[in-house]
Amino acid sequence: MSAVLTDTATVTPPGRVLLRRQRVRPGKVLLSVLGLVLALVWVFPVYWMMLSAVTPDAILGSVTPSFLPWNFTLSNLESVLTDSGFLNALGMSLMVTGLTIVLVLAFAFFAALAISRWRFRGRKSFILTVLFIQMLPAEGLFIAQYQMMSSLGLLNQVIGISALYVAMLIPFTVWMLRGFVAGVPIELEEAAMVDGLSRPRAFLRITFPLLAPGLIASGVYAFLQAWNEFTTALVILPAESAQTLPIWLRSFLSASANRGINWAEVMAASTLIAVPVIVFFLFVQGRMTSGLVSGAVKG
Amino acid sequence: MRRTRTIVAAASTITLALTLAACGSDGDPTDSEANGSAEVEPADITLWLNGSDTNEDLRTYLIDTFAAENEGSTLSIEEQDWSDVVPKLTTALPDAANTPDVVEIGNTQAATFTYAGAFREISPELYEELGGDNLLPSFVEAGAVDDKKFALPYYFGSRYMFYRADIWEEAGIEVPTTLEEFGDAVAELRTDDRSGFALGGQDWRNGISWVFANGGELAVKEGDQWVSTLSDPNTVAGLEQWQGVYESASNLPPTHTDEAYWDYFNDPEEGGEPEAATIMAPSWARWSIGDLVENDEGDMVRDGMVDDSTYDIFALPGVDGGVAPVFAGGSNLAVSAQSQHPELAENLLRIIYSEEYQTMLAEVGLGPANTEHTSVMATDKFGETAVAAAEASQLTPAAPGWAAVEGASVYEELFQKIAEGGDVTEIAAEYDEKITPMLNGQAG
Amino acid sequence: MATTTTKSVGPDDIAIRRRRKPATPYILLIPAVAALLIGLGYPVYWQVVTSLQEYGLLQQFGAPPVFVGLDNFARVFTDSEVWFVVAKSVAFCLVNAALTVGIGLGLAVLMRAVHSWVRITMQITLLLAWATPLVAAVTVFRWLFDYRTGVVNWLLVQVGADGMGGYNWLGQAWTFFLVASFVVIWMSVPFVAMSIYAGLTQVSEEVLEAARIDGAGPRQILWQIIMPLVRPVIAIVLLLQIIWDLRVFAQIRLLQDAGAPISETNLLGNYIYQLGMGQQSFGGAAAVSLFVLVLTMVLSGPYVRYLMKEDAA
Repeated sequence: MSAVLTDTATVTPPGRVLLRRQRVRPGKVLLSVLGLVLALVWVFPVYWMMLSAVTPDAILGSVTPSFLPWNFTLSNLESVLTDSGFLNALGMSLMVTGLTIVLVLAFAFFAALAISRWRFRGRKSFILTVLFIQMLPAEGLFIAQYQMMSSLGLLNQVIGISALYVAMLIPFTVWMLRGFVAGVPIELEEAAMVDGLSRPRAFLRITFPLLAPGLIASGVYAFLQAWNEFTTALVILPAESAQTLPIWLRSFLSASANRGINWAEVMAASTLIAVPVIVFFLFVQGRMTSGLVSGAVKG
Repeated sequence: MRRTRTIVAAASTITLALTLAACGSDGDPTDSEANGSAEVEPADITLWLNGSDTNEDLRTYLIDTFAAENEGSTLSIEEQDWSDVVPKLTTALPDAANTPDVVEIGNTQAATFTYAGAFREISPELYEELGGDNLLPSFVEAGAVDDKKFALPYYFGSRYMFYRADIWEEAGIEVPTTLEEFGDAVAELRTDDRSGFALGGQDWRNGISWVFANGGELAVKEGDQWVSTLSDPNTVAGLEQWQGVYESASNLPPTHTDEAYWDYFNDPEEGGEPEAATIMAPSWARWSIGDLVENDEGDMVRDGMVDDSTYDIFALPGVDGGVAPVFAGGSNLAVSAQSQHPELAENLLRIIYSEEYQTMLAEVGLGPANTEHTSVMATDKFGETAVAAAEASQLTPAAPGWAAVEGASVYEELFQKIAEGGDVTEIAAEYDEKITPMLNGQAG
Repeated sequence: MATTTTKSVGPDDIAIRRRRKPATPYILLIPAVAALLIGLGYPVYWQVVTSLQEYGLLQQFGAPPVFVGLDNFARVFTDSEVWFVVAKSVAFCLVNAALTVGIGLGLAVLMRAVHSWVRITMQITLLLAWATPLVAAVTVFRWLFDYRTGVVNWLLVQVGADGMGGYNWLGQAWTFFLVASFVVIWMSVPFVAMSIYAGLTQVSEEVLEAARIDGAGPRQILWQIIMPLVRPVIAIVLLLQIIWDLRVFAQIRLLQDAGAPISETNLLGNYIYQLGMGQQSFGGAAAVSLFVLVLTMVLSGPYVRYLMKEDAA
């Protein structure tokens, strides 16, 4: 009956089932080829970005593009890494993203627990507010956000921008976590209590581990949003020393445009910004997929 | 439960709003103690500069000199991106706690912020001290309301033509002496792979030079109202002439804006022919042009047009010869009305408008605010041409709503439509109607 | 199974409620509500108040704002440009949301049907696309479609479309939106495909086997067994796509930086930004923002109702 347990079990079966039935079907081969072609199409922009990052700019400008790293060089990456702004922005982005994820997950988790385990007055209006609030366009809010952060003395501060990101991300995260929490049957916890555990302990020992994939899947989403956001950051972090990576990349791009865009360096910078995300993804990948499995179905 | 919480929240936001309103309301720029000799509490002040035109040497000079002349105080310089200047100034300037003390602002944006009360008045005494009537009049006007001065010129960059002498000579074409000759010459130089004159369709900042050259105006003040005058016959004539040049000489798309034209103009790094025989750019573009050489730090850079048989310049000729009145790029400087350290900010202005700093600006090709020092520039052909072009230059209308016109990219669109071959008279009439209300700041 | 857990709460739920102090859920909601109030409370309040005021640069610099009632709204609704932007945005949003979910669904179904190593390859490439930061992704696409040095034009010329050499994709509104759609779809399909795929793995092999034995063809299996089971997932990802695609802003703005007809390519987010930050008509921008909020509510209404019904069940 444990939803998540059966979920994780069903993630692998299709593969195993396939092995069991090893009849070669021509349709399947065709579909596999189609799948590979689509994979190629999807990965091409990423490949192109990374390839360009290790190719000298002079080669990139030539009329005939080359699709393999014949002229491998690390100088683009080097010149980005030695740009004083990059490491600073990296540090800032890591702090903002880290703080945002922790707060969003904690707050949204409590809220998700409340709305999936209790029926109470105001529950429905909370859910609706949470759904609708993310429909408000952010582009008209800058002045107010700036005034607020300034009067609180939180401009150019990690905590200020994180507070805005947390508010921006809570709706979706609550919504996503709700599905996971609902999926963990309360009976499991109660069974553990019968075995003599206190409720908080039962929760920590039994329920929480089952929610981990869900927390990771939501965390990934929050990570991407906070890592990528750039319009609010532009206004709330006006100081050069407080730039996050997207802001830095954009100024790098426009400074470069002044001299004629050095695509190789811009691509190197883009790659370096993508790398932490890719590493993070690969790190949580296994758990995330199973997280999506249980989260998505309950929606 | 929920209701009470909402009320509490509303109450606290109202207090917040009131505090904010209180902070913002004393934006009236009054009493400026002119003399820097008074006892001033040491502090750190901030200067916002846009883009990288003010180079490292200039910045170091400002920081060091400021620290030396103002015991215990320091100057921080923050670089802003040109494309984000308006949002950043809009949010930061009214904010007493975080406002930069001195800001650089595009000359075309200066009027709007001046009218809004963003800047502290420069007292007549200080204005005299900083250069007075020697300061570029058109820029001073952009930052003044009636007789009160708020934003002063920082630097100007006059635009002139960079041409590939090698290509021109090969084609047997002489440097033109009238605007019409120029159009014919660049049309002749155009091939399928090369613009005779590389010009983006949306590049109105270069384009309006043709309007000025034909005696046209973009907008005029009638009584106390600004009126867009694109349909004025002279303006239309200028726009049509520009349309002809664009169509016959440029291979760039109509959607291109004033970008790094030198990219097309230099010999490509990977070999091959340049894609433009002529470009129009501010004087400081020189440092992005030339042959590739290795500098002291080992980077490959352009040599600044050492080889004058390949790279050369001339000022855009006028309709009847002479020098055409081009649009003067450049920027203004102002002290924020909310600056907490106006005395220090004014001391910084004193350094910037000192002979030494003005000379340094002139030496790197940024037209100095004080016209007395332009002579420093006029020591070589670059300087001479820059000064000649600057003397004839014109600015965009100093209307309160001009920044809104720019902010909505109206001129980009106007010039794009003309570049796409539209009927100039019709387009001009259409945009006059659109622009006039914007100029007077009626969008609320 | 998973779906049934959520639905079978009925009597249990009452028992739970009676067992616990009703204060607990409210306490649990405090951090989230506080965070929303701190982050959005004042801005939303400001938005509403400003939409009823004449609020421009003068007001921003301290002049007292003038209450103008619904003037801003009246101006917004009578401005044909606003309706043009709304129409473009809604069309862009619906087309992209539909395509994204359609392609995502196709990929998910495909992932189930292929060899496992192919599936893993597909998953990794989707993850890579998903992980690419927005600014980086738009920059790459901008360059892929660059009229001089872009690969797309080069490839088109190679396959014989000589006229495409130097073609300026960002120069006309419709090709601009085509490129913008490529970026948006490329970036959002991974989330959709992975979510739906996750949903598909819940359809047990036994059920499908049973259906096959009963003589159901692949098409029948898809439409009559798989689809009903993944419909809730599709509903939620479609809702999210509609919300997100209606508020695209950064993608468009970053593409416009490359040189494009600006007013023709503005979508609602960009229009609001331009009206506020560009033209300093903050009152007008606030009015348009609130209008967009209502518009999104209307567009997503059916899905929200569907979700609330699921929730109540």
